[in-house]
Amino acid sequence: MSELEASKKRVNDSRAGRKGQDMPGLAPDVKEALVHRYHPDYKNEAYATIRVGPNKGERTVHEVVRLLEGISPFADESVSLKPTHEVDVLIVGGGGAGATAALTAKAAGVNVLMTTKLRLGDSNTVMAEGGMQVAVAPEDSPVRHFVDSLKGGQMANDRPLLKTLVEEGPSIAKWLIEIGVLFDREEDGNLSLRGGGGSSMPRLLRCKDYTGLELMRVLKDCVLNEEVNVLEFSPVLELLTDGQGTCTGAILKNLDTNQLIIVKAKTVILATGGIGRLHIQGFPTSNHYGATGDALSMSYRAGAVLTLQDTFQYHPTGSVFPEAMAGLLVTEAIRSAGAHLLNVNGERFVYELETRDAVASAVIRECLEGRGIETPSGRKGVWLDMPLVDLINGEGTLKNRFPNMVRQFSRYDIDIEKEPVLIYPTLHYQNGGVKIDVDGESTLKNLFVAGEASGGIHGRNRLMGNSLLDIIVYGKRAGEAASRRSSDIEAGALTLDHLSKFQAEQKSAGVVSKTVSPMLFPDYVNKN
Amino acid sequence: MIIEGNTKISNLVTITVDNEQHAVPEGITVIQGMWHLGRSMLHGVGCLGGACGACAILTRRPGQPQPKTALACQTMVSEGLDIAFLSTDVSVKARALLPNETPSRDTLFQYYPETRRCVACGACSTACPQGIDVMAAVRETMMGELPAVAERFESCVMCGLCAAVCESKVRPHRVGLYARRLHGAFYPKAPTQLLNRIDEISAGRYQAEWDSALQMTGNG
Repeated sequence: MSELEASKKRVNDSRAGRKGQDMPGLAPDVKEALVHRYHPDYKNEAYATIRVGPNKGERTVHEVVRLLEGISPFADESVSLKPTHEVDVLIVGGGGAGATAALTAKAAGVNVLMTTKLRLGDSNTVMAEGGMQVAVAPEDSPVRHFVDSLKGGQMANDRPLLKTLVEEGPSIAKWLIEIGVLFDREEDGNLSLRGGGGSSMPRLLRCKDYTGLELMRVLKDCVLNEEVNVLEFSPVLELLTDGQGTCTGAILKNLDTNQLIIVKAKTVILATGGIGRLHIQGFPTSNHYGATGDALSMSYRAGAVLTLQDTFQYHPTGSVFPEAMAGLLVTEAIRSAGAHLLNVNGERFVYELETRDAVASAVIRECLEGRGIETPSGRKGVWLDMPLVDLINGEGTLKNRFPNMVRQFSRYDIDIEKEPVLIYPTLHYQNGGVKIDVDGESTLKNLFVAGEASGGIHGRNRLMGNSLLDIIVYGKRAGEAASRRSSDIEAGALTLDHLSKFQAEQKSAGVVSKTVSPMLFPDYVNKN
Repeated sequence: MIIEGNTKISNLVTITVDNEQHAVPEGITVIQGMWHLGRSMLHGVGCLGGACGACAILTRRPGQPQPKTALACQTMVSEGLDIAFLSTDVSVKARALLPNETPSRDTLFQYYPETRRCVACGACSTACPQGIDVMAAVRETMMGELPAVAERFESCVMCGLCAAVCESKVRPHRVGLYARRLHGAFYPKAPTQLLNRIDEISAGRYQAEWDSALQMTGNG
């Protein structure tokens, strides 16, 4: 028997004995030490100092520094800025935040154009499995939700942003129900609530393990019903400004025709999502194909300040076997339902519902210290014992509550009702991003940012279920604020003056870059 | 090969794409195989996690008489696998708004009247990469059982394969989504706790608790 099979047998054999076993939580100082020692955010050699731009002197990972210090696709090219479209609100990104912003702006009666790199709906939203946190239970409160999120975020969260998030949660949930989102319900009609790591109360609204898919299906349907003008396969390559610190539009490219599209917009909302496909520190990712952090570089060289740009979430339970599933997420809700994490010896090593930063750190520690299991393709991982979920909650629980997980693994002949799977942290989320205020406006005037592209709400570690809430709350707020603003102002001049300013700064700092940003897509396609 | 930084991939298998044979490493998905062959797959790639329906394909294994539908990001390459890429969903979506009154099956038929023409051939159920019994859902639609229809389409990724294979031009995935929205928006029982919480917040019920929490946690 191979070492892998022998280890798996230990997990299978010990399962019944582990049912009901207590695992103490980590004391705050122990948790802090664990995170500082093993979490990738604290790996110094993975980081560099940013040499130009608004966050000059601060640091982030090499992969992001390269994009921030990168060169514009229009650095050496003169381009006609004669507008092909003139709109009140330009919304960039076709995920949950972008769709919500588009619906809101459309309802406000302003002229909206939405543009997206792939199709409308292609996003990380569609893959979100776990749920959406809203303080609904009678014994719960928005304040409690706030405090949990703050603790989870290592106290680095922007307080007004977070307060707004949790306070608007309930009315946002009501709005979603009104447009036809079908959350799981209890017999009496109340929303069914589940627990998540780092949350002191069950607070997750969800639709089995298809919550993001359900949200995105409905939001996309609404966007199409409302006849929002949408350009697909047309990413933004550069923002336009008036040269005086105000955003005035953007340059898009139609990927099918290679034609440039010049949009003059009174306001722009960037909702382009996160960074998983940068494979920071070599990690696999749970993110969709287009998650390349486009908002960061474009808004940065136009003058917008970033915040917490040095912190990323590595979701503790990314699949590592089979190789074709590497990086794909196994929802945290599985651990909420009782699944254990075990090392090569079949021993538990961390309380499974610590916050994600702590659980990921513990998994990395096990693998670094020789207690991981090696997959046939050379990855390391530990066991996630899912059959225990059925043992605890009754046969059929996995099938009923986690049909997506059961199906995904069954495609590779792995029966998660019978055997454990191998997992390792996977790059999941950018905790920080473009700094915004409670209306979603960045420090660059008339540039709004919503969803994962923005930073501050989640501090240095986002709690499960706060991202689906974030995209709807702040998609809506940005949509409202941008619509209001565009009714009050005239469109500004279209220039690329911010680029020459940025280039001058690069030159004086001695920054020579060969990286063109935004990146748009990961470099997977074989060119030989 | 430049697939996510890895690894010890070794053996090659031969696959057929658009009638041409190619060798690709085993153990990777069809999408990764296309990247290996230098194809960018812009219109056939999305979430890479089986949730977005962008990468519908037909596959046929050696000895199999009929092709099967699948998602390219969820299918491993294998020796002799014959692959054809399908264009993304081209079925027309009706501008089906939510009604003011409690919906019935006629609400659905108003926008998707062809649903009644189903001849129960079962092609849609066979085509669904998510394993949804689509035909059963279409029959339930005819009986007006909206909650049952809604539940069946819970895992639908809107790839549109069911509509593509339908002889009667039924658009089951679109009917399914509309049924779900109708059921959600007209759910028979109110989420009382949620509505109470909204009232409490607007009445300022948490002001004192906020004051002390904000004082304790500081301004970071």
